[in-house]
Amino acid sequence: MIGIIGSGNVGANTAFFLAEKGVDHVTLFDIQEGLAQGKALDMMEAAPIRGYRTAISGTDEPDAVLDAEVVIITAGAVRTSGMNRDALFQQNRDIITRYAQKITRADTKVIIVSEPVDLLTTLFVRHSALPPAQIMGLGGILDATRLRFFIARELKVSMENVAAQVIGRHTDDMIILQNYCCVSGVPIENFLGDETIAGLFDQTRQAGALIVDLAGRASAYYGPSAVAADLAEAICRNTGRIMSVSQILTGQFGITDAALSLPCVINSSGVAKVLEPSLDAEQIQTLKTGARTIQDVIKEDSHA
Amino acid sequence: MPKVSIIGAGNVGATAVYYIAEKNLADIVMVDVVEGLPQAKAMDYLHAAPMRNYNVHISGTSDYKEIADSDVVVLTAGIPRKPGMDRMDLMKINVDIAKKASQAIAEYAPNAVVVVVSNPLDVIAMATLQETGFALKRVMGMAGVLDSTRFRYFIAEKLHIWPGDVMAMVLGGHGDTMVPLPRYTRVNGIPVTELIPPDELEKLIDRTRTGGGEIVSLLKQGSAFFAPGASAAKMVEAIIKDEKRVVPVSAYLRGEYGYQDIFLGVPALLGKNGVEKILELTLTDAEKNALDASAKAVKDGVDTLRSFYSPG
Repeated sequence: MIGIIGSGNVGANTAFFLAEKGVDHVTLFDIQEGLAQGKALDMMEAAPIRGYRTAISGTDEPDAVLDAEVVIITAGAVRTSGMNRDALFQQNRDIITRYAQKITRADTKVIIVSEPVDLLTTLFVRHSALPPAQIMGLGGILDATRLRFFIARELKVSMENVAAQVIGRHTDDMIILQNYCCVSGVPIENFLGDETIAGLFDQTRQAGALIVDLAGRASAYYGPSAVAADLAEAICRNTGRIMSVSQILTGQFGITDAALSLPCVINSSGVAKVLEPSLDAEQIQTLKTGARTIQDVIKEDSHA
Repeated sequence: MPKVSIIGAGNVGATAVYYIAEKNLADIVMVDVVEGLPQAKAMDYLHAAPMRNYNVHISGTSDYKEIADSDVVVLTAGIPRKPGMDRMDLMKINVDIAKKASQAIAEYAPNAVVVVVSNPLDVIAMATLQETGFALKRVMGMAGVLDSTRFRYFIAEKLHIWPGDVMAMVLGGHGDTMVPLPRYTRVNGIPVTELIPPDELEKLIDRTRTGGGEIVSLLKQGSAFFAPGASAAKMVEAIIKDEKRVVPVSAYLRGEYGYQDIFLGVPALLGKNGVEKILELTLTDAEKNALDASAKAVKDGVDTLRSFYSPG
């Protein structure tokens, strides 16, 4: 069973995408009475047309989702226009701390979607008894998915043929690995000039903010939901997919005790393996600065 | 609904039909000279339609007229390679079969894009181009998609990762002389050379090169058809849906990579018009030398073919 905490736009769409992928059972939870049940029922009523056999249920009892095989945390405030992701930390840290203490089944894998994802993933691990490799934040993979779309749109080629890797923090300081961006294996420099590439990278950094600005109030949720569903599927089906997720680093590039995105092999154990991309000095510095920012915020918070 | 005709209702053709039907891509006509075979296989598929939810029509015939106005024609007709048989041994028989089919394609489906699957691939593609008289971009061969899917699978198997995350570029002729490009072979963007040491990668390349042969020797009778059928169907999908997919395709070259008047596997943009663009990659000297050798093997094949038909 996959449990989803929070049945807002991200939570509900994640459940919907998971149903379309054909997983067995999804339970939506929300503290607002009736909301999760209503959305679950709505999705089940589409099942005869969409042909999925997934059992989707809704609940306002948190215990019903806490011992799921995979728990996806989407609860908390979302950012509004002009707000940066880190500003959400104060609003969302208590929810994350609470769930970190409550999710105790030894083999549960946790996916954190709530923002700011690297800070909340770090915080979750500090308060959780679970092995850190089972706790993943939705970070670089979302930025990479957006970049793949921008590259495919620019080149007018099939999106499926475009691969990209984005690592580091899920903020404007994300590190886009240009030498890992390719079309059917061929590096993008073969197709695009430096200036165009820089433009696409800028769009990627601003992609989340643009959606907030355009939509007026809701922040992005289709992209994040699709990526969350993909990650949960990779875990449940033990596929060994390569995804850049935020997780506590264990000495990679000299960093420990902070969650940042690096490409990982994802299977039923969670993060099965962390891959270390070849980085230049400046990229390593950005990674280290990001880690220090996270550590400082968490430290300040625990002293407060 | 678009229309796809599959010439040759053997294992490769029938398997391509399966994948095309499962994705509801197009109405399908299977053609085979063996009376009853294409009709039987089409009917067998239709019996499965209520369970598999096909909403495409599938028919079988021995009459080429029924391929009329096809958007794509897949040419799989020919006899399969037997154990110990070189691709060249197949040539004369299969070229004759392809020529007859090409005349029919030109007559009944003059606007079709033709995907050649029959072996020896690069030679049959040339015969098809000549016999149909079609625009260069509307005739291509399926080889690199198959070679690269095998290479991708072997890499995924080695790394215990999802095969869909592996991208691979393979140039050159089909089989023994194919030229895999490890630099352009990547796992979700990460060059495979960072993940697999050179000697182990070389083993995977060798296995890819002989991948078709490995299956032939296991089967004892016949040759691979699941992956070849899936590869052909993937190309059909890219064309029908105008996907602008970047895949290795055996395409007619006019100076690209320094070759003239030859079908050779190169990266190409596949869309509704066929081979819409050939991408020229920068190659190292070693890669270029390997591609030269591959091109020479293909050229020799075509020269042999021409000698069969030269007057006197």
